[in-house]
Amino acid sequence: MNYLIPLMVIFPIFAALLINLFGKHNKTIKILSFIVAIILPLITLFASYGLHFFGGHKPLIDTNITGLPTYITSTNLYSMHPAITYSFTPLTKVFIFIMCIIVFLSVFSYLTSEKKASGSFLFLVFMGTAAVSAMILSDDLFNMYVFFEIAALVQTGIVIASKAEDNYETALKYMILGSIGGPMLLLGITILLAITGSVNITDIAIIISTVLIKSPISKAVVLFSFALILFGWLYASGFPPFHVIKSSLYSKSESYGSSILQAMSLLTLVAFLIAMARMFYLINIFNGAILIVSIIAMILGVSMAVMQTDFRRMIAYLSVGELGFVGLGFGLGTKFSMTAGLFQGINEMIVTALLFLGLGSVVYLTNTSNIRKLGGLISKSESMAIMVLLGGFAMAGVPPFNGFRSKFMIIHAALLAGYPEVAVIAILISIATFFVFVKALHGIYLKPQPNDLEFVHDSIPKSVIFSVAVLTIMCLILGLYPEIVTVPISQALGGLII
Amino acid sequence: MMISTQLLCLFAAGALIIIGLFAAIFIDNIIKKVVGLSFIEEGVNLFIICLTYKEGGIVPILAPGMNVNWFAQNAAYPLPQALVLTSIVIGASTLAVILALTMFLYKKYGSLSAHEILNNKYDMGDEE
Repeated sequence: MNYLIPLMVIFPIFAALLINLFGKHNKTIKILSFIVAIILPLITLFASYGLHFFGGHKPLIDTNITGLPTYITSTNLYSMHPAITYSFTPLTKVFIFIMCIIVFLSVFSYLTSEKKASGSFLFLVFMGTAAVSAMILSDDLFNMYVFFEIAALVQTGIVIASKAEDNYETALKYMILGSIGGPMLLLGITILLAITGSVNITDIAIIISTVLIKSPISKAVVLFSFALILFGWLYASGFPPFHVIKSSLYSKSESYGSSILQAMSLLTLVAFLIAMARMFYLINIFNGAILIVSIIAMILGVSMAVMQTDFRRMIAYLSVGELGFVGLGFGLGTKFSMTAGLFQGINEMIVTALLFLGLGSVVYLTNTSNIRKLGGLISKSESMAIMVLLGGFAMAGVPPFNGFRSKFMIIHAALLAGYPEVAVIAILISIATFFVFVKALHGIYLKPQPNDLEFVHDSIPKSVIFSVAVLTIMCLILGLYPEIVTVPISQALGGLII
Repeated sequence: MMISTQLLCLFAAGALIIIGLFAAIFIDNIIKKVVGLSFIEEGVNLFIICLTYKEGGIVPILAPGMNVNWFAQNAAYPLPQALVLTSIVIGASTLAVILALTMFLYKKYGSLSAHEILNNKYDMGDEE
């Protein structure tokens, strides 16, 4: 039994509770948060791959109980999972490790930039980290749902904890939509429980693929549950029709919070996408539905971003659009395309964190995010301007950055899968993203500085420059050596789905 | 023809979900919206419970000396009951956050109209 696997969830929860307890002692929570943020990626790094069965309840194999329903005994289901199972694979390791690095950099920047740290904010950050780690580790649908709801509450809390205008309105809107999306997801899980007798993803996948897929009636019920789970997934990921509220959520948070929020959304998206792919890949419309939703997200994301004059909202919309590429990889349905999609997910997490932190420094200096009111900021910090520009290039897919590698793989996969029109759309979206960035960066850094532009701070904190530099280096390394992540992803996918 | 308890509960759950969805989408008053959201949640909980309802089933506690096979055939399935308990707790926390936000926004706007509070905030970024 590898006890480091559950520790990835238990440790941040415990740390969050401890930070909340010492909420009023500024120095204590700063030291505590810093230590926790360092330990989190280390746990992921040193944990060995394998399964963890909660309560020590291993799968029931060859039991002599004859009372099990026939739809279980008549299938190829050689084992049944009676308890929550966590599965730690190279794929989950890569995602959780990158998430923990982003959490560390954001928390480090926050602690060094703010004189008085907010215990509530740090509590939410670590609770969120635990929730998304649990979602991607879990092989249990209901466990995923519980952490899905915790993640939704955490995201709302991070927005409430920010000082942005209209943050309460955005939080309420998100919660109301979540109160529809969450129950729909639960309803989908319940239907699966009713027809399979289990909430374990492996068990459900085996029962669906060996028995339920053969009968038209049970196939229709599976399809209905897929539709409900898809609705919950759209809400959690910020895909249309939830793209507007998700973008608002990112833009109404502090830059440190936004960089973590987007990573949380991405991990939720990936966790549920993998779970859905494992359970429903034999359903004919699965790939088509994911493909259509992803293309709509890409088009809407970039077209909404073009219209923004607030750069935080612009990045928020772009990041939602970029998530479409991840879905595209799964929608194409080949192992190569899924690897490309997941690689794009990792890149998206790093690049968007870079941009939120990097452009957050503009808000730190000027207290505005309106591009029309900004200009000439390259004189304040050339290094930051260059790193943000490189981040923009990485997101748009300019070589030699990571975004180029993953987008190239997705376009290649689309051509191999016989979807040249999808490849053309992906190229056009990348060009549009590049255009949006050039326009925004010109407005912020290169155009003459307006006379009425006032500065709240004189310089950008060195910790923020350090964090953005680390993320830029990560973009470059993954661009030059993509096999660092594509090989483990591909190996893990082979065992999961194909 | 007598309708079974399970079917009746399923209809009730479906009705609760549909009424809740209608209230959450079409009613302007935030408190009424919240009541609608609560209906959806309770509908789903009822749905979970009644899906695995077992006519004449026994409590799923394996007593000493009980035949395992007989128990497996007659005991009610305990998993949905455990799931519903968790779901109720999640629902209560979500509801508490929504109501706290509603109270704050009521103090700010002096209104409970979702149209006044929420719908005038989507723009292209020119907020200042």
